[in-house]
Amino acid sequence: MKITNDFDLKKQAEELGVSVWRTPSFLFIVMGIIIVSAMTAIYFISKEYDQPEILIGAESLVVIVIFIIGNSIIKQVEEMAKLNKLKSEFVSVASHQLRTPLSAIRWETELLLSKLGSGMDEKQCKSVATINTLATRMTRLVNDLLDVTKIDQGRMVLRKEAVDVSKIINESVEDLLPLAKAKNLQIMVNKKGEIKEIIADSARIRVVIENLLSNSVKYTRTRGRIEVELFNSDGFVVFSIKDDGVGIPAEQQKQVFSKFFRSDNAVRYQTDGTGLGLYIAKNIVEQSGGKIWFQSKEDTGTVFNFSLPMA
Amino acid sequence: MEKKKILIVEDEASLQGAMQDFLLAEGFDVALAIDGEIAVRLAKSENPDLILLDIILPKKDGFEVLTELKADEKTKKIPIILLTNLESAEDIDRAFSLEANTYLVKSNYKLEEIVQKIKEMLKMPK
Repeated sequence: MKITNDFDLKKQAEELGVSVWRTPSFLFIVMGIIIVSAMTAIYFISKEYDQPEILIGAESLVVIVIFIIGNSIIKQVEEMAKLNKLKSEFVSVASHQLRTPLSAIRWETELLLSKLGSGMDEKQCKSVATINTLATRMTRLVNDLLDVTKIDQGRMVLRKEAVDVSKIINESVEDLLPLAKAKNLQIMVNKKGEIKEIIADSARIRVVIENLLSNSVKYTRTRGRIEVELFNSDGFVVFSIKDDGVGIPAEQQKQVFSKFFRSDNAVRYQTDGTGLGLYIAKNIVEQSGGKIWFQSKEDTGTVFNFSLPMA
Repeated sequence: MEKKKILIVEDEASLQGAMQDFLLAEGFDVALAIDGEIAVRLAKSENPDLILLDIILPKKDGFEVLTELKADEKTKKIPIILLTNLESAEDIDRAFSLEANTYLVKSNYKLEEIVQKIKEMLKMPK
C-alpha cells in the first residue's frame, strides 16, 4: 500500500506543487527504464561486437545518462527543499511580525478594561472585551503556527531547567477558571505524594499542560468535572487530565495527534481550535524524553496522560 | 511609601504607551527609553528600581544593554526583566548567562501579569 502511495504520481505532484514529469518518483521510474534498456542494449552490443572499445563506449554512455538523470532528480529534490524552507521562513517571519501588533491590541484593550474603563458603558466594555479575547486567540494561533514550523524543520530547541510542575498546573488552572466557571465546571487538582523534580523546558511544558487542560474545558459539557492528577511512577512524573466530556469518536482516535486534526465532536460542538495543540504537545513531550497517551469514549469522557522523566 | 521607579526600554510606541499607562495607574513612577543608548544613560541617571528591557532595539540591542548594565557597579544590582517577542532557547539562555533576572515573552503575558512579576521581584505587597 505504502509503495503504491509512493508512486501515486498525480498525488505527489499535487502535494509538491510541480508537474507530474518533475516529481522525483517519475524521474526515478525514467531512470529505471533507461538502466534496463541500457543493460539490454549492452547485452546485444556485446553479443554482436567483441571489441572492448565499443563495449566501454556503450557503458560510458550509460553512466553519463544515469549521471545526468540522477543529477536532475537531486536538483528537483533540492529545489523543493529550498521552497519548503522558504515557506517555513515566511511563516516564521510573518508570525513574528504579527506578534507585536497583537500584543499592542491585547495590552491596550486590557488597559481600557481595567484602568481606563470608568467612562465606558456596559456595551462598550463588552465590545472591548471581545476584541481582547479575539486578539488573545489570534496570538495563540500565531504561536501554534510558529511552533509547528519549528517542529517540522526540526528547529524546536528545548531548554533544560528545573520545572515547578505544581506551579504550572495551578497557574494554568487559574487561567482557565473564568471559562470553567462560565460552564459551571469543577476542576480538581490532586497531587499524590512528593512529586519528584523534572528537568525540561518550563515554558514548553506549560504549553502542553495548557493545551490539554483547555481541550478538557472546551469539550466538557456544562456542570461537568475535570480531574488533574500528578504522581510519580517508575522514574517518570505522570500527568493525567480526565474529563467527563464529549469524548473522541473511536474511528477518529488514530488521528488525534495529527496536524490540523479536529474530531467531528469538536466541530459539532462549535468549539474554536486549530487542531495543532495535540500535535505540538506530542512533539514537546517526546522531545523531552516522555510519552503521551489517552483513552476516550464518545459521550463519556477522555483521559489524557503524559509522562516526563525525573531529574 | 516612596514610589518605585520602572525604566521601560521599548521602541514600539504602542507597546510603550500601554505599559506606561498601566504602570502609572498601578502607582509606579516611569522612565522611558526608545533605544539602547538612551536606556544605558537613563539606567545610570534615573536610578530605576527595575528595568523592563526589550531585545530588538535601535542603536544597541537588549543584550548589549544588559551586558553594560551588569558590568557597571552602579547599575549591576538593578533587577532586569527581558520583555521581548523573541523566544528561542538560544536567546533565553543567552539572556540568563548575561544575568537577566527574568525573561518574559510579551505575547504570552497580560500587563497585569507583568505587574505581578514586577511586584514579586521588588518584594512589594500584591
